[in-house]
Amino acid sequence: MKKTTKERQKVALLSRRKVVLAENLFREVVPSDVIVRENPRTVTHRHTYGGLSKFFLQLTARKLYGTKCRSTSCAHTGIWLPPRVHCPDCWEKMCWVEIDTSGAKVYTHSMTNLPGAGFMLSTPCPLISVEIPGVCTKFMSYLSKFGEGEPYIGMPVKPVFRTRRPTYTILDVSWVPNE
Amino acid sequence: MITFGDGNLRVPKLSRRVFLVGAGMTDFRKFYPAKQSSELCLEAMKMAVERLRISPHEFRQRVNYAVYPQFADHFGDQLLAEAKIHDYLGFDPIGNVGVKTGGATGGTGANTAIMAVASGYASCVPVVGWERMDEVDTRQGNAYIAGAACKDFESNLGWSYTTYYALMMRRYLEENHPNRETLAKIAQKNHGYARFSPFSQIPGDYTIEEILSAKVVSDPLTFPECCAMSVGATALIFCDEETAFHLTDHPVEVTGIGAGSHTLRTADRRNMPILLLPNETEETYKGRDLDWPGFTSFLAARFAARQAYLMAGIKDPVEELDLAETHDAFTVSDIQTYEDVGFRPYGRGAEFVESGDAYLGGRLPTNLSGGLIGSMHSVGATGLFQLAEIFWQVRGEWNEVHGDEKLWQKYGKIKPPVWQCLQVPDARRGMAISHAGTGSHVTSIILERR
Repeated sequence: MKKTTKERQKVALLSRRKVVLAENLFREVVPSDVIVRENPRTVTHRHTYGGLSKFFLQLTARKLYGTKCRSTSCAHTGIWLPPRVHCPDCWEKMCWVEIDTSGAKVYTHSMTNLPGAGFMLSTPCPLISVEIPGVCTKFMSYLSKFGEGEPYIGMPVKPVFRTRRPTYTILDVSWVPNE
Repeated sequence: MITFGDGNLRVPKLSRRVFLVGAGMTDFRKFYPAKQSSELCLEAMKMAVERLRISPHEFRQRVNYAVYPQFADHFGDQLLAEAKIHDYLGFDPIGNVGVKTGGATGGTGANTAIMAVASGYASCVPVVGWERMDEVDTRQGNAYIAGAACKDFESNLGWSYTTYYALMMRRYLEENHPNRETLAKIAQKNHGYARFSPFSQIPGDYTIEEILSAKVVSDPLTFPECCAMSVGATALIFCDEETAFHLTDHPVEVTGIGAGSHTLRTADRRNMPILLLPNETEETYKGRDLDWPGFTSFLAARFAARQAYLMAGIKDPVEELDLAETHDAFTVSDIQTYEDVGFRPYGRGAEFVESGDAYLGGRLPTNLSGGLIGSMHSVGATGLFQLAEIFWQVRGEWNEVHGDEKLWQKYGKIKPPVWQCLQVPDARRGMAISHAGTGSHVTSIILERR
């Protein structure tokens, strides 16, 4: 029989963060017999752009790249922007092509006043969808310089790029009036 | 462009008849600290079973599969929550499945249960849907929802679905020139009908001016034109024919179901010819030179509705349905949906409201429940909530449920002294449209009194 000891170890509560019980929810008082505990959270996700990395890298070089299917079995010839690595029709890898934005114009728009948490731009922020000749999709972005009455549908725009301290997000490209 | 093969356009078929026999729900609130999600789900399930006049013990002995729709683990902060709910309801060790398709989670949950019964796998399937959206503030809630947009190319541009729909709205106004007031009338109607529901979260008697001059969330959408963010649950019970007639004398049959999908990113929708519904021909759109589906239509909704109509043998939905529940997340998405599901041809959705068709007394009253704008959008429960409301309508029970003073009291509310009964006279057949993203998933379910 194994010999036991009378001395026992203790299990302690470690690195205890300050406990907060919410007293109010949405500006109303929490009933006194209900416990609402605040569970704070800070986490870091490490997200890969995988085969799309080239798109985000090229933004920092002031270039807008899309992809195009060159498979002979595929009749579709439009450029995808946002790019996709694979063609959704034939599942072959597509080719990267630099986008000619000279005919770009605003397809639709909205002025964002009350964005969700985590929004990194100042408000009001004009969100736009951009129509580009030869591109089979509409590119969602924002107008980083705007005046009275802008944006409007059909407004000619050109891309500008955040090359100093890039965010490596879609916010590294935006559009300005093309006059 | 998407091209269809015969397999894609096959009309779905149920291998045996499927019936909805019971429905229950909680009230819906912005925040609900007094009750956990499991308590809310139990309350909804209990209401559905109580109305069958059998005991929970008897009911549990009949169950052989269960479906749990919940949109986002982020909100409730509990992975595999369906296991907790299933256990809490005492259904162990019966097999079950959690279902997630964004805003269409409820509709997909119902479709899953219907398919389980139709296949013969199961004979009695409860579907219990819920969402707990009050653990975080509204800004964070919007960001969680926008996590269901493309995180690489869309989410950072707004962290808000209102913005993504506002882009569609601006384009819709440009292409189809409806009166701006017509869109506000949808909000007015649904907040208005919500006044007569003890379950509803944002009832309101708004003037059109009040709706249009309210704070703008994302131009041009104003606050009263956007859906609620809710806490609450809904439960439905689907059965085969034998079980259905054992449990109730008046089961409601599922006569049509459909499901469609389209790119998560609105931007990625390539132009294609319009997929026609049974009440349309090539002639309907002769000379039309606008993009389709573009930013103004939902291919997924059209695809789902087409399947359900063909299955149910419906040619003209406005004539052949008695009521409908649409996913009015925003006023603009509602008007878009009227066109996708054939209440009016493309470009003419405003006529559905202006003609009076969409109102009680009109040809196809829509969202008498108060919808998502007036009553609730507790996401996992929403598609089930719509079906529950249709279930009560086609059984002629709307007033019995909604007019019950005790239910109003239970939720701490006072039944309005000026009362309007929203029962559609002799309602027999209704359809619910459940919708996700900017149209990434849509389901259509047609219920019919037998």
